[in-house]
Amino acid sequence: MKSLTNYLDLSQQLPLIRKRLRETDRSTAALVLLSAIVALLVISPMLWLFVRAVEVEPARAYGLIVSPDTGWITVNSIILMGVVTFCSILLGVPLAVLTARTDIPYPRLWTIVAALPLVIPSYIGAIAFVGMFGSGGEIDSVFGVSIPTIDGLPGSILIITLYTYPYVFLTTRAALLSMDSSVVDAARTLNAGPFEAFRRVTFPQIRPGIAAGALLAGLYAISDFGTPAFMGANVFTSRIYWETTGFGREYAALLALQLIAIVAVVLVIEAGIGRDEDAGNSGGGEGSTIRLGNWKWPAMGFVSVLGTLTLIVPVAIFSRWLIYSEGDPIPAYEFQWEFAFNSVYLALLAALVASLFALPVAYYSGRANSLLSRILERATYVGFAVPGVVIGLALVFLGNRALPSLYRQGVWLLVFAYVVRFLPQAVGTVRSSVLQVDDKTIEAARTLNAGRFEAFRRVTLPLIMPGVVAGSILVFLTTMKELPVTLMLRPIGMETLVSLIWNAQDALAYRYAAIPALLLILISGLSMLVLLRQEGGEIS
Amino acid sequence: MQQRNSDLTSRFGRRTFLAAAGGSAAGLAGLAGCLGDDNNDNTPIAEVEPMSERVDSGALSWDDLGDLEGEISIYSGRTPDQISAVFDALEDEYDGLTVSVDYDDNDVQVNQILEEETHPADLMYSQDPGALNALHDDGVLQQLPDDVIDAVPGSYQHSDGYWTGVTGRTRSIQYNSDRLDETDFDDWDELPTDIMEYATDERFEGIISTRPNSGTFRGFVQAMVERKGEEETREWVRQMADDQDAQLFEGGSDQANDINRGGDDDPIIGLGNSYYAARILNEDSDAPIRTTFTENDAGCLFSVAGVGVLDQVGDSELVAEFVRHLLAEEGQELMMDDNGEYPVVEDIEYVGPLPDLDEINPPEFDLSGFDMDLQEAGDLIEEEGMFA
Repeated sequence: MKSLTNYLDLSQQLPLIRKRLRETDRSTAALVLLSAIVALLVISPMLWLFVRAVEVEPARAYGLIVSPDTGWITVNSIILMGVVTFCSILLGVPLAVLTARTDIPYPRLWTIVAALPLVIPSYIGAIAFVGMFGSGGEIDSVFGVSIPTIDGLPGSILIITLYTYPYVFLTTRAALLSMDSSVVDAARTLNAGPFEAFRRVTFPQIRPGIAAGALLAGLYAISDFGTPAFMGANVFTSRIYWETTGFGREYAALLALQLIAIVAVVLVIEAGIGRDEDAGNSGGGEGSTIRLGNWKWPAMGFVSVLGTLTLIVPVAIFSRWLIYSEGDPIPAYEFQWEFAFNSVYLALLAALVASLFALPVAYYSGRANSLLSRILERATYVGFAVPGVVIGLALVFLGNRALPSLYRQGVWLLVFAYVVRFLPQAVGTVRSSVLQVDDKTIEAARTLNAGRFEAFRRVTLPLIMPGVVAGSILVFLTTMKELPVTLMLRPIGMETLVSLIWNAQDALAYRYAAIPALLLILISGLSMLVLLRQEGGEIS
Repeated sequence: MQQRNSDLTSRFGRRTFLAAAGGSAAGLAGLAGCLGDDNNDNTPIAEVEPMSERVDSGALSWDDLGDLEGEISIYSGRTPDQISAVFDALEDEYDGLTVSVDYDDNDVQVNQILEEETHPADLMYSQDPGALNALHDDGVLQQLPDDVIDAVPGSYQHSDGYWTGVTGRTRSIQYNSDRLDETDFDDWDELPTDIMEYATDERFEGIISTRPNSGTFRGFVQAMVERKGEEETREWVRQMADDQDAQLFEGGSDQANDINRGGDDDPIIGLGNSYYAARILNEDSDAPIRTTFTENDAGCLFSVAGVGVLDQVGDSELVAEFVRHLLAEEGQELMMDDNGEYPVVEDIEYVGPLPDLDEINPPEFDLSGFDMDLQEAGDLIEEEGMFA
């Protein structure tokens, strides 16, 4: 410990400050460099799009871009993304308030019910809903009541919303739990009604949280292939898939670039809404809870109905297929534990690598909030919005040439593909926890002569660890259910839960899809419990 | 054949451009292509002598062929239930053999191979000749040994022996036998035997379906172009899409399943491969789905699933002998039993639930001359507004 006079003696102090500043510059430069490397790495697959897109003759490319057909795809895709985002907010925010800020009985149960749909791949939801509703569906055959078929664009919107709103729910809930609720109490004391207090005090504070979740939901909606394809909606993903498989890879690339252009606009708009200036620092979640009174019954009923639709319907349908299966056994689709192990192993690796990649980008963007940091952070979102088949083909092309020894031999190229697809989920959550670290804590550590890195390791990292874990779990969950990239880049002969579901479903051997689907839901469900438990630990 | 050559020039132009662009991108992406571990055996497959008997000497048993030892990896565009029984049986037969298979959508596999510079698999096992022709046109396949080529009729393989069919199937008309009263037909016997009528007969309006994104559908369209000309084919596709308002499916299984399910919104009739219906009947013999066939036109096109050997393989001798095993009696019979497919080796008799090829009367079609330009058929389908 230095004596106080040391700090007062400027002549002694100046070289020290200078030294520290140099050190700061150097570590900042290192951080910027690391972030830039990560960002460049994860957008590098898009290089392939340009390689392929320039192969389209300019006249034909122009014709394709301005064709009414492309216009419809664009309109449909934007409607899909916009309405899913809007509905996700409509579902996610009230549910977050309900579970985090009211006296609803059994809050943990309802939190789990509201969050769990995220673990179910939307295409499984789509299969289940189509099997359940519509003429000839399970409800029709059991009750003889014909319910309109769920399909097309409205069907896709419904299904994707039901399985992606938890993004908004989780991020909003996290923001609610960490905001300083004493401000709300103050507002209430100043005679603001509960609604006004929410609008003027709570909402501005949780807005970045809502925006972060809404962004993930919207980007997921525009990149989802399985649901629109199954429902027959004409959007970018299904058309890109059609072009890709119809040997129009160049057109597919062109369409994907158009898609990215739209996504870029969305990212810029969101960057405006989700600014952090208004976001508060952590302040503990205690304080005012809203009393529901008799409203608790409709509230619980609402969550129950939602949970029944999103969770019980698919589980029931798959269980039914499992129990009432008939026909000759098909050994090719026999379940093996190795498939589950492969899925978990890949998802763990993806989660680990994604959180390592996310740290520099999220830390830099959370601390610096400069234009450069925003650009680097946003760059990591692009892969999330691009359909998996495009990322898959891009990495087939690039990986096969640049890293032939990794191509389809080990799991690393596949893991990289997952990181390209899912990094923003980790970046988003880590970043919001970085934002909540009080500058003063770090300054204190620095004053105590801790180096930049040591301060990060001993002070910042433990504080943001919950965010890192939460981000990893989101990456884990989404990797578990990822399909196209898995099929295209896994080592030859390696099967996973989803590849088995896909194969069995494709051959109409639904009963063989049941066990892997239920197991996928179970494993992902358990990891979701870890996520919620950890968040619970924070508040209590 | 003559008019095919006329558009060869434009295709050649496109392909040269593709190759040039691909080449420069390869340069950009890294010079690492040559750095990968190279345990490839570059002996051309065509020059590999049979380890034991030649496979063209009639119906051979696996016992007549050489032992398989080592590791072989396969890109499969066929699904595991269609094909894995053969691979499993071979692994059971030979202790030293490992067969690693990558299953994915047929078209995705082909596109993936076209994007690759070096191929991690030895073989592509594809659903349809068009896909194998596309691979050949891109120069990634190599010629098969003489005895393999001679074992299969010329019309079921590539004219220069770059791929061979292993099993065959036909296009069919599927229908739901319980739903006659919802149609304007008095009996299912009235279903036309001319595929052209399915696009023009008003009785099919709103109840018919097809699956435009499949390789077989493109093959079917290409066959129709060859026999009826482009104008009539375009008209057929357009009428199918617009006048008949055909329901379009992403998957052959989905389509057959919906026909079988028989809900109010489901199609009653469907154009598709016969084995999709056969599989449903295999699961449940009381299922209402049935098949019928057109006469001697593209609607009952006989086509093959087959293999092509990629240009670099791990062990040429193993790969060549493996292909021989697929054409031997056990290989052919396994796929008959499992999949209701037709054998392509003449000495091997077809036994199964489907009518014999003579009864179906498929068109005389030389698949080897079936230079299927998938892009062209794909463009045609798309330009006439048919996509799911």
